[in-house]
Amino acid sequence: MLQKPRRLLALLLLSALALCLAGCGSGSSGGGSGSGAEDIRLLVWAPSEDQAQASGEWLQTCCNNFAALHPEWNITFNYGVADEATSASTVAYDPEDSADVFMYANDNITVLTDAKALAKIGGKYADEIKSFTSQALVDSVSLDGYLYGVPYTTNTWFMYYDKSFFTEEDVKSLEAMLAKGRVAFPFTNSWYLPAFYVANGCTLFGNNNQEELGVDFGGENAAEVTDYLIDLAANPNFVIDNDGAGMAGLRDGSIHAIFTGSWDAPSIKEILGDNMGAVAPPCFDLNGEEKQMMAYAGSKAIGVNAHSEHMVAAVELAIYLGSAEAQKLHYELRSTIPSNTELLTHEDITADPVVIAQNDTFDRTSILQPTVSAMGNCWTPVQNMGESIRNGTTTHANAAEQTEGMNAAMNSNGIS
Amino acid sequence: MKGERLKSAKAARVRNNILIHILLAVLAFIWVFPVLWVIMTSFRAEKGSYISTFFPHAFTLANYTKLFTDTTILNFPRMFMNTLIIAIFSCIMTTFFQLSASFCLSRMRFKMRKPFMNMAMILGLFPGFMSMVAVYFILKAVGLTEGNLIRFALVLCYSGSAALGFQIAKGFFDTTPFAIDEAATLDGCTKWQIFTKITLPLSKPIIIYTVLTSFIGPWVDFIFAKVICRANADQYTVAIGLWRMLEKEYIDNWYTSFAAGAVLISIPIAILFLNLQKFYVNGTSGAVKG
Repeated sequence: MLQKPRRLLALLLLSALALCLAGCGSGSSGGGSGSGAEDIRLLVWAPSEDQAQASGEWLQTCCNNFAALHPEWNITFNYGVADEATSASTVAYDPEDSADVFMYANDNITVLTDAKALAKIGGKYADEIKSFTSQALVDSVSLDGYLYGVPYTTNTWFMYYDKSFFTEEDVKSLEAMLAKGRVAFPFTNSWYLPAFYVANGCTLFGNNNQEELGVDFGGENAAEVTDYLIDLAANPNFVIDNDGAGMAGLRDGSIHAIFTGSWDAPSIKEILGDNMGAVAPPCFDLNGEEKQMMAYAGSKAIGVNAHSEHMVAAVELAIYLGSAEAQKLHYELRSTIPSNTELLTHEDITADPVVIAQNDTFDRTSILQPTVSAMGNCWTPVQNMGESIRNGTTTHANAAEQTEGMNAAMNSNGIS
Repeated sequence: MKGERLKSAKAARVRNNILIHILLAVLAFIWVFPVLWVIMTSFRAEKGSYISTFFPHAFTLANYTKLFTDTTILNFPRMFMNTLIIAIFSCIMTTFFQLSASFCLSRMRFKMRKPFMNMAMILGLFPGFMSMVAVYFILKAVGLTEGNLIRFALVLCYSGSAALGFQIAKGFFDTTPFAIDEAATLDGCTKWQIFTKITLPLSKPIIIYTVLTSFIGPWVDFIFAKVICRANADQYTVAIGLWRMLEKEYIDNWYTSFAAGAVLISIPIAILFLNLQKFYVNGTSGAVKG
């Protein structure tokens, strides 16, 4: 009786040990031993798809190309996994032990600069970046006049629709679409909902990262929008997209247009095939006046760690990873929409509807998403507004009052 | 007259039983429902995070095979192995520390005994993750935050505070009469022999209880694993992997596989519980009867 559990335990321990040993793999590979070349190590963090064999090992390919271009260094690359959206928080709590080069979404820029984790890029390097990047994108990763990274793609949302259902004329107006088919919009998501308010002249920090100006989501123009949204949510052809409901509707044919970003393009292409249309967000009819929905837009950029031991190599690598050559490969392997001004004139890239929609949105129907830290107070109040309209707590009777409440909450950090 | 009263008493009992069983059935349904839903989702053939019907239209095993074959982006088998290794080693260390500390506090008398117990009580009031950034920097200073050493670091994290969780086992050991220990001492037993040859064999239920709780802790932990693994994807545990499957880039493709993963990680815990549950109930009720 006693023998059995003991043997079992021994077996368990033994197998655990075996697994542990099997798990200890080999380290990273090194470069060749060049004569007179300086030995350096660079740690690079990127999303896992950029490194996966299934999607063509973009990062490894580019790093090896970079090493070949620079015989003066004998570089050993180490790779880690950190995607753009979450890398900032990972870097921020221990910048010294983070990657030399990493990717981040520009809305996190203040998290990184507050942690003193981002190197300022200046001089000839800044000039080089500015030579192939639009001014709006450069601004998106600049703070107080300093440039903090190499932007390589825009980051925003736009509209996908079923071409067999809507004509190109229909998709210019939300009302025309709602009269014809069902449209899903992430109404309770505060990355999307402000588009209606911004359309009617509401501003966030002067739309120019001026923290002292605060948020202006109050007053008559905002209340008008709230009134409009109450009617919109009640429209039977308008679906409040939440937890993937829009995508599911697109799949079973009950929904004909949804709002999301380029990351959903492969799934939508699979569902709609050649009928997939992508276009900048439409206009809507506010008390007889045509207003253009304005999305939040940002960018993804390659940042250099301020604590890097090999600053020159790290900055040059960051610039290479954001260069036309690397962006082109990124587009081919992972459909990452390029931002290089020269690449965007290439025919094979401009033929892609998703690229056109995203860039059109960025240039024409969006505002730069504020990067000031006070922006952190703006998410929950807007989400609450969307939810209270959906639940019927915000009605025409109290719309103005609720809008003022939202505005007050957006301008307060909840403490003082 | 008498027969009628009996009959109505019986009728009342039947009625009560029916009502109670209906109530229990409703409660059971409410409790089992989410589990059932996750299992159903894990076999769902339609992609995406949302479907408009309650029951899936078609069922498939592909979500499970995807977890084990599509490993280039999210390597589920490796995460599963990492978690298993960490959980097993933490379980062994935690159990040993905890039982030893409980034995000392129950059987020995020393100056620091009361102060230690008070201190442990107060420390236990603070949630463990309050210290996580500090723990991270200590582990980094010792050089345990890189490569395969991360697994070791996580085992240390999970078992490091084990000695503070002595209360239940100590209470159990207290119920064993001191006379047995004294008799053993007279026969020439050392303290270690008393612990291993007398106290432990009498305390099977509490050992099982300790093993169970100390296995589940690391098995389901997210916060410490996230803080310590950082960008080392090869060291990720299942909890981090499952969390990543729900990020906006993955959710449409991975949602049903996420449910499959959730089912898979519940299997080892379910096996442990099914085999050990009779001890689990005994665990909190005392050692020697009468």
